[in-house]
Amino acid sequence: MKDADIDADETDRLLLQRMVAGDRAALATLYRSYHGRLCRFLSRLTRRADLIEEVINDCFWIVWQKAGSFKGESRVSTWIIGIAYRCGLKALRQRGDEPVDDEGMPEDRMPSHDPGEDRELRDWLSKGMERLSADQRVVVELVYGVGHTLDDVAAIMQCPVGTVKARLFHARVKLRNVLPALAGDQLTQKESVP
Amino acid sequence: MKLTKDTDRDCSRAWEAMPWVLQDSAPPEQSAWLTEHLAQCEACREEFAQQSQLRLALALPTDVQLDPEVGLKRLLSRIDDEAQTTTAHVRSGTWFTRALVAAVLVQALGIGVLGVKLWSEDAVQPYRTLSQPSPMAMPGAIHVVPDANMKLADWDSLLHSLQLQVVGGPNDVGAYTVVPEHATATQDTLQQLRAMHGIRLAEPATASP
Ligand SMILES: [Zn+2]
Repeated sequence: MKDADIDADETDRLLLQRMVAGDRAALATLYRSYHGRLCRFLSRLTRRADLIEEVINDCFWIVWQKAGSFKGESRVSTWIIGIAYRCGLKALRQRGDEPVDDEGMPEDRMPSHDPGEDRELRDWLSKGMERLSADQRVVVELVYGVGHTLDDVAAIMQCPVGTVKARLFHARVKLRNVLPALAGDQLTQKESVP
Repeated sequence: MKLTKDTDRDCSRAWEAMPWVLQDSAPPEQSAWLTEHLAQCEACREEFAQQSQLRLALALPTDVQLDPEVGLKRLLSRIDDEAQTTTAHVRSGTWFTRALVAAVLVQALGIGVLGVKLWSEDAVQPYRTLSQPSPMAMPGAIHVVPDANMKLADWDSLLHSLQLQVVGGPNDVGAYTVVPEHATATQDTLQQLRAMHGIRLAEPATASP
C-alpha cells in the first residue's frame, strides 16, 4: 500500500467511527469522497445514471448502518466498493439483466468537452466491454481502471483469487478477439515506429 | 512465430505479467523480463499494445455525470424517513439496534414526541378492559422500555420494589405502561426508573404529568 493510500484509509476509518456515533457530517464527507469513484465503477455495470445513483445510495445506506461492524480486515475502500458491487448486481437482477444500453450513451449525453480522440477510444472500449459479462467488466475495471491487485479484487467480489484470475483471463481473451479490428492495429503501427 | 514449448511457456508468462507491469505493481525483474520478451515476440507485443490501450481507455473520465449533492440529500432524507418508521419493526431487532433506534429517535424528535410515538394507539388494546380507563389518560402513568434481555423475574421484582402496576404493553417497541400505586410518586418513580440498570427509557405517559 502506498503512503497516500494508508493516509486515505486512516481518514476513512475515522469517518466510519464518527458515523457509528451517528455523525451525519462524517457520512456526508465519506459520501462526497467516494461518489466519483463509485460512479465510475458502477458505470461499468450499467450506463443508466438513475440506476447508478440508486446503487450508490443503497451502498451508503448499508455503510451508514454497518459502519460499526467494519472490522478493518481490509481497506475501507475495498469494503465500500465491495458493497457497491453487490448492490449493483442486485439492482441489475431486479431491473433485468441487460445492464448496458444497446447503443451505448446517447449522443446528447456525451460530454461536450470530449475530444475526438477520446471519443474514439471510448467507443473502442464500449465495443469490447459490451461483449463481457458483468463480472468480467468489473474485474477489468478493478485491475486496469483502478489498479487493484488480484487479492483486492477477490476481497471486493468475495470470491477466491482463482475465480478472479479466470474472469480476467476470459475477459482478455474476449477483448482480444473483439478489439483488434478497431484501434489496435493503428496502435501497433504507431508503436513500431522507432 | 515458432510454436515451440518454450515460446508457449514464455508467452503465457508474458500474458500473465502484462496487467501488473502496466499497473506498475510488478517487481522490476518481471518488468525487465517482459520488455525483453516483447522485443522478440510479435504476438505478445500486439497483446501488450492492446492492453495499454485498454488501460488508457479505462482511465478516461467517466461519461456518467451525477451531482453528489443531489444524491446525498436523497440519502439523508431516506435515513430520516427510516428513523421515523423503524419504531414499527424494532421489536424484532436486537437490544443493541433497539437502543440505537431509541437514541436516534430521541435525537431526531425530542423526547416529548418520542413518548407519543412509542405509544401508538392500538398497541395497548389487548390489555385494556372496558372497566379500565385508557392508560394514556391514567394519572401518573409512565411508559417504560426495559431491555429486551431483562429476565421476567427481574422485571417483576423491579415493579414490586417501585410499587408499580403494569396497565398496558408491551407494545411494538417493547414499551409498557405502568402506574405507581401512589399517584403522587410519579416524579420520584421516574427518576428511580431512569437510574436503574436494564431500563432504556422511562417517560411520563401524558404530555404534562
Ligand atoms: Zn510471446
